[in-house]
Amino acid sequence: MPVITAEARAWAEREFPDFDYPVTRIDIARFARATRETNPIHYDPAAARQAGYEDVVAPTMFPYAIRMHATTLGADLTPDGSPSADVPPLPTRRAMAGETSITFGVRIVAGDTVSVNKRLADMYEKEGRSGALVFVTMEFTFTNQRGEGVAREQFTRIYR
Amino acid sequence: MTGITVGSEIPVQRFEPSAMDLFMFSASSWLLHRIHYDRPFTTDHDGHPELLIHGPLQGVYLVQTIEGWLDGRGSVDAISYRHLAPAYLGDRLECGGEMIDGDDSIGELEVFARKTDGTVTTTGKARVRWRT
Repeated sequence: MPVITAEARAWAEREFPDFDYPVTRIDIARFARATRETNPIHYDPAAARQAGYEDVVAPTMFPYAIRMHATTLGADLTPDGSPSADVPPLPTRRAMAGETSITFGVRIVAGDTVSVNKRLADMYEKEGRSGALVFVTMEFTFTNQRGEGVAREQFTRIYR
Repeated sequence: MTGITVGSEIPVQRFEPSAMDLFMFSASSWLLHRIHYDRPFTTDHDGHPELLIHGPLQGVYLVQTIEGWLDGRGSVDAISYRHLAPAYLGDRLECGGEMIDGDDSIGELEVFARKTDGTVTTTGKARVRWRT
């Protein structure tokens, strides 16, 4: 019997509103500090301008932080701290992180507003050794205020 | 060109995040999963021996390792990775890799994060583009 019911598929295919993230110098500095970036282009506008950017530039993986704010900031949380809206109506509730795949476009600088679009890219089940595994791949598309692509991420969660 | 060719090794960089680093990454990313900052929950409820180093933080470390190797000669175009084993607070992670394919403008890399005992925690592929 398939684990992915019509209800689960409808859940996964529902529409998500775009999320706008206005990026500040502080946001960039905090993420850079948390990941121990030392390059002054992440902290100092003058250094960033000297390197050819309009303002302090976000570290390469900063779109991840934008995506987490987009999915978690307004969400109800489960007791373990996950956004409950991300838990699909499946009998297989134990989630594991699968593959993350990110393509980068133009750099994000302070002052940009990055818009995130979230959609279901793929959902399928496989028979594993200990029962059904359900793969849910969400795709996040990050676009700046000029309509330029700053990143695209596909993130797979595996439920068993 | 850059002198980088297929077979070039990406020098290993070491990362040993502290509890404060883990908390700062959770906070700055709004990643609220308790297994990264709430030790009693992590050990008593989830049965882990210690706080977990975030998967995406290991993704950041892979990117930083590549960018350190590029040293301004190019940039990371794309990266994909998946986690094979948990990494815990106190683990020292070694990140590195190798260029497995490429030409004058693009390189395809295999990258990894492993513990000092050799356990690979994260494995991935990346594409870099040389600055021309």
